[in-house]
Amino acid sequence: MFRAHMSVTRIWQLIEKRMMSCISVHGKLPGLQRAVGEVRRKSSFRQSPLLTATPVRALIDEQISIKGRFLSQNYPVTVCAQMHSEEGDLWEAFAHYTTNASGSINLTSDHSVGGSYVGCEPMGLFWALEPALGSREGLRLRKRNVETPYMVNISLLEGHTSPSEGQRTELAAVTTERWYMAPGVRRIEIRQNNIVGTLFLPPGPGPFPAMLDLWGMVGGLLEYRSALFASRGFASLSVAYMGHKDLPGPQHIMSVGDSYFKSAFQLLQDHCQVDADRIGVIGLSYGVVPTLRIATTIGFKPSCLICINGAVGSPLLDEDGKSKMFESDQKHWEFDDRGYVSFRNVSLPDNLPPESKRKVENITCPLMYIVGEDDLCTASTENADVIEEALRSAGKSHQFTRLSYPGAGHLIEPPYTPCSRASLWKTKPEKLFTLWGGHPAPHAAAQEDAWKRILEFMETHLRR
Amino acid sequence: MDRKQCCVKLSVQPSRGLMDEKFIVLVQNALPGSQLTIRALHQCEDGHSWEAFGHYTADTTGTIDVSEDPSIRGTYSGVEQMGLLWSLRPIPGSKPGLRMRKKNIQTPMEVTISVYQGHQTEGFADLVPLSGVVVERWYMAPGVRRIPVTEGGLTATLFLPSGPGPFPGLLDLWGGGGQLVEYRAALLASHGFASMAIDYLTSKFTMETGKMVDNQYFETAYRVLQQHPQVCGSKIAMIGLSFGTSMTLKMAIYSEVIKLSAAVCISGSHVQPVEGSVEEIMGFFQKNAGKTRFNEKNEAIWRDLLLPIPTDPSLKADVGRLQCPLLLVVGEDDQNWPAQESALDIKEMMARAGNSHLLTVLSYPNAGHLIEPPYTPHARSSTFKTVEIQEKVMCLWGGQTVEHSRAQEDAWKKILFFLRENLYGDRNPTLFSHL
Repeated sequence: MFRAHMSVTRIWQLIEKRMMSCISVHGKLPGLQRAVGEVRRKSSFRQSPLLTATPVRALIDEQISIKGRFLSQNYPVTVCAQMHSEEGDLWEAFAHYTTNASGSINLTSDHSVGGSYVGCEPMGLFWALEPALGSREGLRLRKRNVETPYMVNISLLEGHTSPSEGQRTELAAVTTERWYMAPGVRRIEIRQNNIVGTLFLPPGPGPFPAMLDLWGMVGGLLEYRSALFASRGFASLSVAYMGHKDLPGPQHIMSVGDSYFKSAFQLLQDHCQVDADRIGVIGLSYGVVPTLRIATTIGFKPSCLICINGAVGSPLLDEDGKSKMFESDQKHWEFDDRGYVSFRNVSLPDNLPPESKRKVENITCPLMYIVGEDDLCTASTENADVIEEALRSAGKSHQFTRLSYPGAGHLIEPPYTPCSRASLWKTKPEKLFTLWGGHPAPHAAAQEDAWKRILEFMETHLRR
Repeated sequence: MDRKQCCVKLSVQPSRGLMDEKFIVLVQNALPGSQLTIRALHQCEDGHSWEAFGHYTADTTGTIDVSEDPSIRGTYSGVEQMGLLWSLRPIPGSKPGLRMRKKNIQTPMEVTISVYQGHQTEGFADLVPLSGVVVERWYMAPGVRRIPVTEGGLTATLFLPSGPGPFPGLLDLWGGGGQLVEYRAALLASHGFASMAIDYLTSKFTMETGKMVDNQYFETAYRVLQQHPQVCGSKIAMIGLSFGTSMTLKMAIYSEVIKLSAAVCISGSHVQPVEGSVEEIMGFFQKNAGKTRFNEKNEAIWRDLLLPIPTDPSLKADVGRLQCPLLLVVGEDDQNWPAQESALDIKEMMARAGNSHLLTVLSYPNAGHLIEPPYTPHARSSTFKTVEIQEKVMCLWGGQTVEHSRAQEDAWKKILFFLRENLYGDRNPTLFSHL
């Protein structure tokens, strides 16, 4: 009680001191007096707040600095991010902050006390984005058109609130652009040698080190990681191997085999702006299978390999590396109480046909394997163990780098993008949702760290 | 081909920036100790090519960081983080008297930055760089809205920041060349000010009637801004350069309608017939046109037209009556206007009147007349046509490139600070003198 009284007295002393200096100032500055007077007549003392984001146009993997100024002191505010996906869905994130004694907030150093994330998270507004309430189920944020940016609107709201709450006073806002392509990067559609792909070239004369960029069994042609690689100075070729209208055969099975990936690798080697001796391969999920197949095939010597949450083999492949229909073998599928499916057990090394497992010990280049320890789609940890052991036995431990992230799921993608713990896999004959795993904060940390290390790995093995 | 040099990596961060943002140019993976040239190339809207370059030596890790390492020689030397932009100059063989000004501010300025083997000084077009990147420099932040204004007979453009507002407002005036110059207003809107660029010399009205606008034109602009639902009507400032300063002071002091929260006057003067209309003020300068001098390159020097600073009070805007903070920006090598002499006289007048606490003067040795937003090339002279003299003249603006560029950077920072403090924040009066 005594302490509280002391504090209150102290507070009043401080206020009086401040008022005194204000009064003496008023006496000297007619301009200030007049202007302040006007403000008093019109509204409360609070001035127009200012929200800034720097840089306001940034690449997806760049950190930006968000600051709010000219707010009331020690005041609760909410910072909110909103954007529309290409499909038209609204994604949102928000966080609760308290302004400091100068009436400012700085997301690079301040702590969120609630909302989509807590703690000091400079990029939390981006990786914690979630579909707005009332959205369709099982959404995943993936950019198809990488030549345009995501427009993310960041706003500052009064008090601690959430986007779904109706009445909220918007104090200030800023629009940011998030790009997958740096200026000068060239996007080239590839439909030759039966390859369905997109090549991204950095600006400049080259020759450039290059990457072959492979995704998973969701299929289609995903360009965004390649676009970012090119924005970082690497030529990068994304190829589709199933689920694309320009590929032969039905879209739901993989009708291309080893020769397809070899052609893709060859295309990079033959390209006049690519340094043929500096080509790496990156695969996520099922993409790891062709990644390892290329590396263990005679005649191809990638300079490095990056494998994210993938298996050493597959139950689905025939001799040429073409697949049977994925859904034909469901004995290892596991369903949760919502009916969402985890494919994890399908890729447990013991469940993989021995003949499908690649002889990883024959790999002659550095290999980085990235594990999301909460991966519910692939038995990443177990497969990483197999690869690590195979290389160790062959005296090649020095070639192996393992990154393992607790709490991260299957889809370890470029940073500052949301984690999908589950998403819609297919709609026919009925809707099926697949579990990817991962919890937002640790998954975001994993993406940020993994991306940095991926780029360093590429610099080391492709550029030096 | 030397394998190692093929892998030289050049990066610029951020690759998309606002015109006044700094960037970091980094070369990595070069041979330690190797000699390299970093060069910037830009083709401006009227098709002319501009270039800048610096000679560097890679350190023991094979790295060059332009923000920390010195350029040994080139269009700039020493540690100059933004030298590749402010030292841009027309490529050899270009027309004389060029000045870089962006008309379309909705697209970025694109600059190609490349790194070359060795210390090159010319013939870059025939060399193959080791690496290159493209950088975009924007006047407009995303979400800033560009709104042409024709209300009340105005020829103006309003730039609104993104967000709900209300925003403090700004009237933006340029000088005797006329036209509707938008880039500074666009940039100021990107910093949170609802900014209206005004054409007051070659407006639609003037082009159609042949008559100059009167004082009410500026008051109309003020009213339009003040009444805009997203503008905070009680927080409006005015910024003027060159002849725009004359208008700014005139309105700040004498207008019954315009009540400014702050005024910024760059490279201008308070010397003007106090009761004069725009036309009469222009006429006053014309009368003194005989005082024009020419240097050895036949470049016109107009700074003497208003000298000596008159003692007759009817020929000087009465700055003693100013009621809002005033920031004067002066280039001490201004060959076009006697900004420095005027600033001294303004200071004296305000000291006598007792309102000098409102005045802040930024004075830059060896800076010229055209003190503009930073990191754009300095033009010591250029071809110029005022609205009165219908023929182009090679006009000497003054300034030495290095000092002028530093002045632009410093002045812009302080202008933004001044505007924020007076239009946005809790005004702490001690901050005025800390500029």
